Amino acid sequence: MKGRVIMAAAALAALALAGCGSSGGGSSSSGPAKSCVATIGFEGPITGPVAVLGTEQLHFAQLAVSMDNTANKTKITIAQGDTQLQPSQATTVTQQFTSNSKILAVVGPAGSQEVEAIGPLMARAGMGFISGSATAAELTTGKYPTFLRVVSNDNVQGPQDANYIVNQLHPKSLMIVDDQEAYSTGLVAAMTPVLKAAGVKVDHESVPQNQNDFSSLVSKVSASTSVVVLPWQVAANAQQFGRDLAQQHKKAVIFGTDGLFSPGTFTINGSYVSSFGPDITALPADAALAQAAKAKFGSFGTFGPPVFAATHVIDEAIASVCKAGQTPSRSNVLAAIRKTSEPTSILGQPIKFGSHGDLINGKFFLFKINSKGAYKLVPSS
Amino acid sequence: MDFFVQELVNGVTTGALYALVALGFSMVYGVLKLLNFAHGDLYMIGAFTGYFVIQWFGGPSALTIPVPLLLVIMLVLAAGLAGGLGVAIERFAYRPLRNAPRIAPLITAIGISFFLENSALLLFGGQTRVYNTPDFISLSSGLSIGPVTISTVQIMVLVLGAALMISLQLLVNRTRLGRRMRAVAADREAAEMLGINVNMTIAVTFFLGSALAGVAGVMAGLMFNQVTNLIGFIVGLKAFTAAVVGGIGSIPGAMLGGLLIGMAESFITGYVSSTYTNLIVFGILIAVMLLRPSGLLGRAQLQKV
Amino acid sequence: MSIDQPPASPPPAGPPGGPQVGADEWVARQSHRQEQLPAWLRPAQQLAGRVGWWPRLAIAALVAAALPALGLGGFQLQVGINALLLAMLALGLNVTVGWAGLLDLGYVAFFGFGAYGFALLSSGQLGSAGIHLPAYLSLPVVMVGAAILGLLVGLPSRRLIGDYLAIVTLFFGEAFLEFTTNVAPGTLGGANGIVGIDPIQAFGFQLTSNTGYFYLLLILLVATMAALRLLDSSRTGRAWRAVREDPLAAASMTIPVSRVKLMAFAFGAVIAALAGTVFAAQQISVFPPDFNTAYLILIYAGLILGGAGSITGAVLGGLVVVITLDGFLRSPTEAGYIFYGLIVVALLVKLRPWRKLGGVVAATVALGFAAHAITGAISASAVAGGPQSSGWIASAVRDWVIVPASPKAAGNIGFVVLVCLLIALVQARGWWRTALLPPAIYLAACVWEARLVAEPSITRQILIGVVLIVMMNSRPQGLLGSRRVEVIT
Repeated sequence: MKGRVIMAAAALAALALAGCGSSGGGSSSSGPAKSCVATIGFEGPITGPVAVLGTEQLHFAQLAVSMDNTANKTKITIAQGDTQLQPSQATTVTQQFTSNSKILAVVGPAGSQEVEAIGPLMARAGMGFISGSATAAELTTGKYPTFLRVVSNDNVQGPQDANYIVNQLHPKSLMIVDDQEAYSTGLVAAMTPVLKAAGVKVDHESVPQNQNDFSSLVSKVSASTSVVVLPWQVAANAQQFGRDLAQQHKKAVIFGTDGLFSPGTFTINGSYVSSFGPDITALPADAALAQAAKAKFGSFGTFGPPVFAATHVIDEAIASVCKAGQTPSRSNVLAAIRKTSEPTSILGQPIKFGSHGDLINGKFFLFKINSKGAYKLVPSS
Repeated sequence: MDFFVQELVNGVTTGALYALVALGFSMVYGVLKLLNFAHGDLYMIGAFTGYFVIQWFGGPSALTIPVPLLLVIMLVLAAGLAGGLGVAIERFAYRPLRNAPRIAPLITAIGISFFLENSALLLFGGQTRVYNTPDFISLSSGLSIGPVTISTVQIMVLVLGAALMISLQLLVNRTRLGRRMRAVAADREAAEMLGINVNMTIAVTFFLGSALAGVAGVMAGLMFNQVTNLIGFIVGLKAFTAAVVGGIGSIPGAMLGGLLIGMAESFITGYVSSTYTNLIVFGILIAVMLLRPSGLLGRAQLQKV
Repeated sequence: MSIDQPPASPPPAGPPGGPQVGADEWVARQSHRQEQLPAWLRPAQQLAGRVGWWPRLAIAALVAAALPALGLGGFQLQVGINALLLAMLALGLNVTVGWAGLLDLGYVAFFGFGAYGFALLSSGQLGSAGIHLPAYLSLPVVMVGAAILGLLVGLPSRRLIGDYLAIVTLFFGEAFLEFTTNVAPGTLGGANGIVGIDPIQAFGFQLTSNTGYFYLLLILLVATMAALRLLDSSRTGRAWRAVREDPLAAASMTIPVSRVKLMAFAFGAVIAALAGTVFAAQQISVFPPDFNTAYLILIYAGLILGGAGSITGAVLGGLVVVITLDGFLRSPTEAGYIFYGLIVVALLVKLRPWRKLGGVVAATVALGFAAHAITGAISASAVAGGPQSSGWIASAVRDWVIVPASPKAAGNIGFVVLVCLLIALVQARGWWRTALLPPAIYLAACVWEARLVAEPSITRQILIGVVLIVMMNSRPQGLLGSRRVEVIT
């Protein structure tokens, strides 16, 4: 009994200490009003099964903030919120962010399910949130008024890709493999009707994202199957799938969606990849940024750049509020975000938001990978 | 028919990998009666070791040493590191709990698994590390028998896997060390009274089992090319299934279980649908547990009073 | 055959090294581990001893009920809801694992079943089939369903014991995840889950605010605690404990072992499903990853921390785990207070006599300043980083910890060395251990400031693992659990 009491007392003491600390810490750090100080919340799966995705997003958000701080002379900081791609954790993180008056806007969350879970909370707090990877079409029907995204939704990409496949590749039958995540199943749902309407025989398969043994699935690709559609987010998985195809002498061509756009990682000769923007590593304007990112965090894929763009939009919005002589708040930052009109962006296309938060005139580019692994733009219709 | 043979080849190679991981799992269970949930994470450590060895010697496309030498270094280092880590974990976390209630080591194992996975995330970052095996072992160098193909790496996995399993079987059945391991597995206290150094025997068992996981990690890296901090979870789960289906604690059982699970996955994917592969495999496991709790080759456990 | 030397038995006063022969020594060692309560805490203990369990429950419930009125913010309220949910789940798990001794690793699936059951019945999801029940109807249906599912999953427990049961239930949990993700995506929603779930309503009330859910959960938790308390002292409760300690002896005393085990499963399942329905209604949506293994581990962490077998322990453990993880560890500043606070508290509690404590603290402080000065003299960039945390702690340790200008690589190396040092510390005995303590503490602080504080999300996960390991090794019975000895055969 004595042991228990002392342990309980110790635990309580530690918690109390933390509690006192937190209240003390909060009051001491109110910065000077004149310099442009703000905090942006970041929501993403920093740990857990898709840490691949979340860490890259976090790194690019940090990179954007540090670059924009230098350029705009602002003092913006990032508060991390780890969601592990779990809506329940996203809810908790969102409550944390909305309760913290220093946080003016949020980058993220990564998944469409998470947006569904936190949309109402954000709306109540009047806080803008910009996702770089939540692409479900139904998110921008107006039900989440403070939600915005810098990538086009599944209903743009899915049918466009499906039409290209039907009209240009003329498959008799194809295999489409989802990876059991919302991004993937959403695109499959958007593409399948178009394919079926064109009379293509569709074999729908499904492999969890954390599995990378595709040999038995590849064996199932029949001789008449000329296209394998992979709406995936892990480029290394698609690369492995392509190698298994080659090793088993299959002739099918891989068609990847924007989650696979990853020069250097996904390099299977003859594959198609659609993307929300041109190859940023090849754009002269973005070369410095790509190099900084590579130097700081190693190789990167397709998740970082949109989050960079989203963070940049928020950074600029905060800076513009400061420039107008106002103290940044959630409402004026959100208003400034809505007014965003960037003629060009890291994504290679202008960023301008529609009334429900969708990117206006969001386009998808289509690339074909050549034998050297380079991405070559092809006309997408 | 070709399709059947191809799926069989796929299943057997994947199964060999599962079997290697399952072996270590089963050995540890044999001597300690401990479900070592951290076992899959040693596989992850092995895979990372292999990756860093490749990088150290110039990267996959510009290797500075011959490929066979590279493979040997990768395997030896991975086995050594994973094995050493396994021994350290046993010494540090499991030994103090050897006679504690059953739940304590189980929860510790879960804690260790959590710790290793997230430490790897801290140290190595979240991005997928890629072996790029085809850059130094050509994809076209394998065997092609009619339409059925077997890659070099698959052959390697099969040969090495078979060799390791046979030598392990010999070790356990023919050597003094193996006799001690069996004695400890059968009755730890009696073994101790007979003068067997139980702690040493358990440590050696942990080393061997963990080293096998490390080797399997490297081979998986060569075969599937990818390493992340969480690859241990799903393989650990599959190996766990294999060990249980074969009869946990039984070495031939683990091999059989591994091959069976590998083939089951392959055939379910091939003939049913990949969507339901995991669901059906888990269903098979539950069915085996219900119908034959001691597994296919396991001995029925007598309850001692 | 050579005869190996039996290992020398460790000194009895040392920390658990595991008995070498027989289990009784472990029992003896356990009583050795009990610390003496310091004098200043004794009056409090006496006072607490005079208040019975029921009054204490009432007081705690009243205090908790007053919290929202005292002005909990949105975030605190959310953490409170999460904490109450986990406490509830730990309570249910306590029935199966703590009382009946049945290792259930698929427990989180019952939580998911409750959530999905409620989501299907009380949302537009099955609207095309004409099923859209009001909450007061779907709740009982889900409860009954969970009880039946619990019985079904418990069935193997009649034949399987210990680890084998753990395996079957683990795969049941995994199968549940696979099922919700892949089967019938039109109905279960697949990865997109089910959204637009009705709020819970009863007697004309409709719960739409988090405050409402906080009170609902509080009421449910207190009611469950009360019911379990009664159950604990009933025939069934005694039967559970008898079965846990020795199923064979229990059977020979005419206790219907199988039925008793099944009841434990069903009880645990119903409590989990109840928590699940509230969770679904509060989140307005359910998705498969909400019920994954990581959450199961969290429930176990709560139960283990509090102490399996104790109602109060399970609840407190659940509360502490969530409040720490969600409430404090998400913010790097507060995580820092927890980190340094725990070191200080651990030293205060564990290190005796005072002379030794003073010595270690002084040595740690001196070591830090010396190391910082020497390193700074050799290479200015090696100390150029400065602590990465903020607040007064950072300014306090600025000239004490070594943080290089590029802290990532050094921090990683430091982390690995720290882990090795901690292992060595645990293995070391007597003076060696005391001597290793200052460098270990100092290195921990350096690694914290150089690396861990910059990655609060990962650190948080690492800490969950550490807590489980340390807890199991130092105090397997948890904060409030009763010591249990299992005779290993």
